[in-house]
Amino acid sequence: MRVKVAMALSAVAVWLCATQTARAEPYLAVQGGYECSTCHVNPTGGGLRNDFGLVYAQNVLPAQTIGGPDAVWGGKLTEFLRLGGDLRANWTRNEAPKSPSQQKFALDQVRLYGQISMIRDRLSLYVDEQVAPNSAQNLEAYVRYSDPAHGWYVKGGKFYLPFGWRLQDQTAFVREVTGISMTTPDQGVELGYETLRWSAQVAVTNGAANAQSGSGHQVTGQVVFVQPRWRVGLAASQTQADAGNRRVAGVFAGLRTGPIVWLGEADLVSDEGYPEGKRKLGSLLGEADWNLAKGHNLKLTAEYYEPDRNVGEDQQTRWSLLYEYTPIQFLELRAGYRRYRGIPQNDAQNRRLTFIELHGYF
Amino acid sequence: MQSASTGVRGVKLFNEYSSMRAAWCRFAPLGFLGASLGLAACAGKGTGLDANGRPLGSGGGVGGAITADFQSIQDNVFTPVCTVCHAGAGAPQGLRLDAANSFNLLVNVPSTEVPSLVRIRPGDPDNSYLIQKIEGHASVGAQMPFGGPPLAADVIAAIRQWVSDGAQPATAQAAPAVFKVLSTAPATDDLLIGSLPQVMLAFNQEVDAASVDQQSLRLERVAATGEAGSSELVLAKLSLPAPNPHALLLTPLSPLQPGHYRVLAHTAPGLELADINSRPLTLNSSGVGDDPVILEFDVAGDQ
Repeated sequence: MRVKVAMALSAVAVWLCATQTARAEPYLAVQGGYECSTCHVNPTGGGLRNDFGLVYAQNVLPAQTIGGPDAVWGGKLTEFLRLGGDLRANWTRNEAPKSPSQQKFALDQVRLYGQISMIRDRLSLYVDEQVAPNSAQNLEAYVRYSDPAHGWYVKGGKFYLPFGWRLQDQTAFVREVTGISMTTPDQGVELGYETLRWSAQVAVTNGAANAQSGSGHQVTGQVVFVQPRWRVGLAASQTQADAGNRRVAGVFAGLRTGPIVWLGEADLVSDEGYPEGKRKLGSLLGEADWNLAKGHNLKLTAEYYEPDRNVGEDQQTRWSLLYEYTPIQFLELRAGYRRYRGIPQNDAQNRRLTFIELHGYF
Repeated sequence: MQSASTGVRGVKLFNEYSSMRAAWCRFAPLGFLGASLGLAACAGKGTGLDANGRPLGSGGGVGGAITADFQSIQDNVFTPVCTVCHAGAGAPQGLRLDAANSFNLLVNVPSTEVPSLVRIRPGDPDNSYLIQKIEGHASVGAQMPFGGPPLAADVIAAIRQWVSDGAQPATAQAAPAVFKVLSTAPATDDLLIGSLPQVMLAFNQEVDAASVDQQSLRLERVAATGEAGSSELVLAKLSLPAPNPHALLLTPLSPLQPGHYRVLAHTAPGLELADINSRPLTLNSSGVGDDPVILEFDVAGDQ
């Protein structure tokens, strides 16, 4: 039985290689022309990987696959229970003008994912729990009911909001400015629609500004049109809160040209929650991912941040150059350099970050 | 025959498309690199802004060495570092750390991540969630500031001391009794190399736009020893920057020549600068005739 499973997985892997299909990050999805749900259990991406994602992680993503058929990890403990996880540990060095540099090793996070399928392809319960460092912290926990025949699903509980590229870097300007990232889950309900070429979600949640109290809410949605070589998406979010109302609009797109994948996102924010009243903010992201060879990726990102469109000469930019190496299945090494540039009066806006990250996952 | 011709044309079109596509694949990375370089050059120069990126005189803190009092912590930490994320209606955990909201949302307010702890418990830094977050041993979540270097040890020590001392609010500031200049750019006695695009004056109150005309302030070049005359008027445009009514801009109409310059205020009734409460500008400096000097600086030639 095991040999049969391994052979089937290998066959899928060969097909994946031959057709240069998806991996498990936004740029990888664009590379293969797939939706996030191709590799992840969550239709909006991130977290627990499905059968397809795990096959890819073991056979296509790494420079070399080691172990024999017995070493295959399928993710399922039983027919109804699936587990996964991520561990990230890093060494970072921060340098800022007029300050001594800081460097340290740190365990960034250990996360465990679990999904119980109470009714196959219909009803499931999903949990995303950060178990280290420090105490456990729940990031996602929801029940999802799907209608696979028509592409609809609805989920309720705590989850990440659907808005723009779900980047691995949560400190990207587009994620910080919109306030929507994988560090800011919210509680509510989400309605989604998934077909081969369309992906759409709308979520009604509390909103970050109403975390303490308040009667407001947040409505967030996006729609993405997916083609084999490119995709484009529109996203919007509106928050009503005692602190002030906030509107966010964004457009994001991806394109594959040969071995390079291009990602872009532009967001505009209008926020009434500032002491002086309304402030308009904006951010841009451009990313190029160059698949140098199997298991090797060179990533270059350029970002732009406009903290207040009514104030001149306050813009910030950020450059990142990363090398991502996956020597064997389930193990990734990342090394990168980030250069922040902002107004000369603010040292933190002109810092430099160098890092090496060890990423293990299953 | 016609179909053969169409076929040849189709092959040509396909070849053209293929070569265009190859060129695109070849040059797209260079284009991206160029665009990225251009983008990286777009960082703001910070002209007329304080260290927090806000217009001078708009109420931002002035920084300086941190001390164990709320105003200093606000000016050195909360505003310049934390409000990058913790501001506006999208502030994580609803925690806004701008100067108008931070104290009320911190002291004796339960944390949303660990509701059994309050964010700041006066007199008890070890059981204040904010302290745990910035020191990196909170039971939940990442160390703050998120994605940035940890705060320096002396900064954390000052915040701890403020909490130990009872987490008192900033000393209440009475409404300013007079209308006066807060800061200038360039600063008094600055020596500038080359010319200067504009002079900026920041006030402690909003300027009454109706009181601003081309005679409210004047820029003079003081004659050097040996030059004829005592001083000459420098033609300059006077304007209020729209987003910041606390500031005035003096823009010379032509590049400033090397020399000693001063900005003077008119004090004649009807010509004086006033704030939105119709209070005239108060200046303690010595003057030239009846008009006090607001600012003096020197311009040296390019080396």
